[in-house]
Amino acid sequence: MQVRKAVITAAAPNQNRIPTQQLVDRQGKDKSALQLILEEVLSCGVEEICIVVRPGDQGSFEQASGDLVGSVRFVEQPEPIGYADAILRAKPFVADEPFLHLVGDHLYLSASEISCARQLVNVASEFTCSVSAVQSTRENKLPYFGIVSGTRVPRQEGVFEVQRVVEKPTPTRAEQELVTPGLRSGHYLGFFGMHVLTNDIIAALEQVVADESLTKPTLSDALDVLRARHKYMAFEVRGTRYNLGIPYGLLISQLAIALSGHDRDHILTELVDLLAQRNALVGDGGRDA
Amino acid sequence: MSNRLIDIIRSEDESLRHRSLESVVAEATTTQLLEHCRSLDAYRRHEENLYCRVRALFFLSSIHRYHLPRRLELEGARSESQLHNGLIPFGGYEHLLSRRFSEAIDDFLQTQDSAGPSDAISSALAQAYHQLGFQTLADQVRKSVRTVRGNQWMFRLGHPIDHPLRLRRELLAADPKRGAMPLLCETTAVRMDLSHSAWSDIFFLGMDYPAGARVLNISVDLGVRGRDDSPSPPIETYLRVIDEPVFRLASVDLNATAEVTTIGEMFDFARDYLGLLKAAVIAAGIVPPGLEGCGRPISELLAQLIGPGKGLELVSKINDIPKGSRLAVSTNLLGSLISILMRATGQIESLTGGLTESERRLVAARAILGEWIGGSGGGWQDSGGVWPGIKLICGAEAAEGDPEYGVSRGRLMPVHQVFDRRRASEQTRQKLQDSLVLVHGGMAQNVGPILEMVTERYLLRSEAEWGARQEAMTILDQVVAAIESGDIRQIGQATTRNFEGPLQTIIPWATNRFTDRLIQACRDKYGDQFWGFVMLGGMSGGGMGFLFDPAIKAAASDWLQKEMVQIKTQLQTALPFAMDPVVYDFSINDQGTWAQLRSGDDAVMPDRYYQLVLPNLLRTATRDLSPNRRSELQSIARRCADGQIASSASSKLLQSVLPHDESDERSDTSLHNLLHSIGFDAEQHEQIRADLKNGRIGLSQNRLSPSTTIRDVGPEHVVDLRQGCSLEEVKAGEQAIADGQVGVVTLAAGVGSRWTEGAGVCKALHPFNRFAGRHRSFLEVHLAKTRATLRSIGGAIPHVFTTSYLTDAPIREHLQRHEHFGFERGVEVSTGKSVGLRMVPTVRDLQFLWQETASQVLDQQQQKVRESVRAALMNWARTTGEASDYTDNVPNQCLHPVGHWYEVPNLLRNGMLHRLLQDQPSLRYLMLHNIDTLGANVDPGLLGAHIRRGADLSFEVITRRLEDRGGGLALVGGRPQLVEGLAMPDERIEFDLSYYNSMTTWIDIGRLLETFQLTRSELADTAAVDSAVRKLAKRLPTYITLKDVKKRWGHAQEDIYPVAQFEKLWGDMTALPEVECQFMVVPKRRGQQLKEQAQLDPWKRDGSAEYIDSLCDWRD
Repeated sequence: MQVRKAVITAAAPNQNRIPTQQLVDRQGKDKSALQLILEEVLSCGVEEICIVVRPGDQGSFEQASGDLVGSVRFVEQPEPIGYADAILRAKPFVADEPFLHLVGDHLYLSASEISCARQLVNVASEFTCSVSAVQSTRENKLPYFGIVSGTRVPRQEGVFEVQRVVEKPTPTRAEQELVTPGLRSGHYLGFFGMHVLTNDIIAALEQVVADESLTKPTLSDALDVLRARHKYMAFEVRGTRYNLGIPYGLLISQLAIALSGHDRDHILTELVDLLAQRNALVGDGGRDA
Repeated sequence: MSNRLIDIIRSEDESLRHRSLESVVAEATTTQLLEHCRSLDAYRRHEENLYCRVRALFFLSSIHRYHLPRRLELEGARSESQLHNGLIPFGGYEHLLSRRFSEAIDDFLQTQDSAGPSDAISSALAQAYHQLGFQTLADQVRKSVRTVRGNQWMFRLGHPIDHPLRLRRELLAADPKRGAMPLLCETTAVRMDLSHSAWSDIFFLGMDYPAGARVLNISVDLGVRGRDDSPSPPIETYLRVIDEPVFRLASVDLNATAEVTTIGEMFDFARDYLGLLKAAVIAAGIVPPGLEGCGRPISELLAQLIGPGKGLELVSKINDIPKGSRLAVSTNLLGSLISILMRATGQIESLTGGLTESERRLVAARAILGEWIGGSGGGWQDSGGVWPGIKLICGAEAAEGDPEYGVSRGRLMPVHQVFDRRRASEQTRQKLQDSLVLVHGGMAQNVGPILEMVTERYLLRSEAEWGARQEAMTILDQVVAAIESGDIRQIGQATTRNFEGPLQTIIPWATNRFTDRLIQACRDKYGDQFWGFVMLGGMSGGGMGFLFDPAIKAAASDWLQKEMVQIKTQLQTALPFAMDPVVYDFSINDQGTWAQLRSGDDAVMPDRYYQLVLPNLLRTATRDLSPNRRSELQSIARRCADGQIASSASSKLLQSVLPHDESDERSDTSLHNLLHSIGFDAEQHEQIRADLKNGRIGLSQNRLSPSTTIRDVGPEHVVDLRQGCSLEEVKAGEQAIADGQVGVVTLAAGVGSRWTEGAGVCKALHPFNRFAGRHRSFLEVHLAKTRATLRSIGGAIPHVFTTSYLTDAPIREHLQRHEHFGFERGVEVSTGKSVGLRMVPTVRDLQFLWQETASQVLDQQQQKVRESVRAALMNWARTTGEASDYTDNVPNQCLHPVGHWYEVPNLLRNGMLHRLLQDQPSLRYLMLHNIDTLGANVDPGLLGAHIRRGADLSFEVITRRLEDRGGGLALVGGRPQLVEGLAMPDERIEFDLSYYNSMTTWIDIGRLLETFQLTRSELADTAAVDSAVRKLAKRLPTYITLKDVKKRWGHAQEDIYPVAQFEKLWGDMTALPEVECQFMVVPKRRGQQLKEQAQLDPWKRDGSAEYIDSLCDWRD
């Protein structure tokens, strides 16, 4: 299975400015967050990229794409009626091909030479089915992620056959329905924000978008439909995702990139300096966790 | 290792596994019993299966409690040698109190090995094995509750910032017009069970014997007959977001509100009356149990859960259903609160409407957790009100994947089969409603001890009780069949048979005099139209059901209401009633727990809530109120003006903010008038208060100086009559009885503080056990013994009951109603002349009692609750005023009898002794005994021993068992005397004393008068008698004691307060140098006392009840 296309969603309310933020990449070059995401996508052989944006955002996104703008097309989601609807807007773009999907507010750092997207596409090609990147997620993060449960595929490290998908479950439900054997207690397989989806997802998306009992249907809802009908896997990516949309998300992402790149020593020196001056700072507001 | 008992425990073959302990050990000798014990003890130490281990522990406990002592006594009687007394090592006792049961057992076993087996050490071992057994079971339930999937995460969370729950957004959408927050409301039914197959809903039973665990449980709505228009779900809970970062809790029935500001406060259950709400908040995962002790403010958690600056308000209302209704109101309230909180946080998917089966199961699992956290306990059927309609709840086998698999046969959580209309037709449901009268008899009793007894019986598989359990299971099938066929009469027959047969075979204490009389009255009044009786829950006396022919149900309900009140009035001085009986209207609830989201003008709390919070809101300056509070006040005003609040509720609202007129409360019966009228000694009272305040008297001052040498007595200091008296003594005694030389004095001034945990009833009149076909009181038992002596020997034995202000009228009235139980003459009442007024204890004494005196540590969670209660009580003492008069209760609970020493001088002061001597000049001796020393009778041998040895006072002492605490016979400075437990300079000394004081005393009247420096003729001179009594009283020590008293309020609510009182005790007569005392060691059964109701069951099972019966003649 060859993955030539990618869909990036960036249409959620309050999300439109995140991809345009400026960061410094591993090599010390100034880049927008969107550029870093696009580089990740292109690293795995994707040729065409579609970004789903809010009406009126296209200009700023084009600008933030820098010299990669040539590979990018835009579609708009007229109303913010859910994640599932946002992806469905790219239906004409994907046609009947499989595609890589990423969220526009996450950055990814691979723990190996192979980029996260490439790792995922490799697994999808091997199994010829939809695959979601996941990572072991502690239960206190459940309110932020879609969670899958599954069984390990023998002799395939980090690959799971998915049995359930639930968006932002309560820990109570997670413990009852979403425990995956082999993970530490209180840890679940949480979405990494990166998926390779076969064209089967479109029907599932259309089904959940049409379901009136669901308010703002999510991709997780569609994936739960998908896994009931088709083979669907999860893959524990060797890497880390950084959510830019949470408080200090941008700062932490930048630190993570910088500490894995050329300027590691410089940043470390600055951090030590900051820590040494900590006594002079006012208390931490009780957040001593 | 092969042992028949171990074979029984381990067997997979049901016919062998269900065999009883008795079938193996009934005929065993001491040596064989000890061999069984050795094998079982070795076995239980390495056995991994929980239930096998527990069963071995209960076998061991039972052998030591029931079989070994009897064997030792019999074999001791046969051998001529001196009986071995045996002492209990204090170290082991300390281990026992601190719940180090295994260490305690090792200590006791070591003593048994070195000193030989004895009654004393067996009593200690029995207790230690028993408690270890229950601890093992409780640990398993706790583990199971924690490991239920969906509960585990709550124990992992350690900091509020990691909180993984979020409040649903729907609850944050304020009304755009008025700003009112949406209000989530949940209504829940309570549950009624027609049969629980002999308490098979106890967790331990369901987990070991799932096939036998079945309950027929019905969700019902209630209304109080005559008060409410129609039945409605009795439980209502409310939740809303508030604009202050606190967790506000309110219970409108208990008139209690609290604002929780720290996470720690949420775990402080006894700080206020909101413990149940707090347990729900914890069990629902809002403040997960893992956060206990994290020391963070609750605002931090709320910020994570809802958002910065926001809080939650949780309100409960149970429509004033009284405690003890046996309808599991508290568990279902817990279920309702948990459900509403889980809906609000998305743990239950549906925000409104009913619940799915899996959601109900989750709520039930959390309710079990909540009960454990709150230190209470319930059965697994109790959250039945969360389910709809009629259902059969059954135990389930543990399967692979269950946390219980491999540990116990059954699962913690049962399965519920809800009956559809095919299984229980509409018509049947209606017929049941048309026939069954639900009542609350007025008694609110603790059912905990009964559940422990049931568990023990089950594990021992005693034949009669095991047979009864099988029968109860068949009866459940019959009840189910009757429901299915719609035959209500059949239900009544089955439930009555269940109550009168298997339930009482297993636990005789499931019934009481009150219930028996009610059932009899129904039969007498309605004959065939009375279809049957249903015991609800664990025991009768509180919530009960009576089935009548539908044609007479309405009339029978009215009649029953009156009849219950009448019987209660007759029995209320004897049995602990918490309230007047009521009759309920009920209907079957086919909805289960149900929620609604109200918004805008509909988002209003119940009227009673506003009566509760309005006074405080009005006292606060408007500018200090939060915007939500201000708008709420405006809304109340608007609704009053619009007439949306009923006029009665409006007037109550008004009353809540206006000052009360208290003149009505000051009636003639008020405490001070009463004190005045009964000759209370105010001067002495003030002296005691001053001494108490200054620390001259108090719990620590009760003790003898540490330099006093106290040793155990030797054989030369006692007369051992355990193996019988000589023929001469018996003859001398019989002669004295026949000549009318002896009288009996029964001390009946007490209100049995320990017996009813401070309920303040007359202990003498408590119908505690069935003898010869009906429940009889202590008083009746004592008279029956006197009757037996009179009938066998002849003569005249005057029998005097000494009373206090608290017991005098009830005893006189009781004797009169029963025509002195057939005694034409000789039954007398000696009215007490002394009364004290209780005081608020000093914090110093409370600390001494709770911190410096060795006392039983409770199971982990219960101990936490107890510590929280104690902190609250110390605060109460401090704020109310240490050593101030305790007057905040009904007068009878504020007064106290001043110790049994005074009861003998009272005989002199009130002229009773004078009159007795005039009526019966031959009278020379008195036998004085406590009301609870049931074995004390006018034994000719002991009387002869007293006469022939010529002592002034002969005290009967017995060998000590673990439960016999409170002093004993000791050599003090070389002289044998009775030392009160209160006076022991060091608690461990008591453990070195062989004999315990039974209090039964043979008195030589002449010598007693000499001690008072009086003559027979001077008895008529009141002034001389008073002065003599005062003189002697001064020479005896005054003890300060703390007693528990119950304060009743609301609807059968009870609070227990420790209060200070003073006492002088009879045993101290032995310390007077001029009084010649002798100490007679008597058989255990004669001197055994019943101090607590928990003793009743072992007392009945070890043959003591039979023995007492054999002393009595019931032919009145």
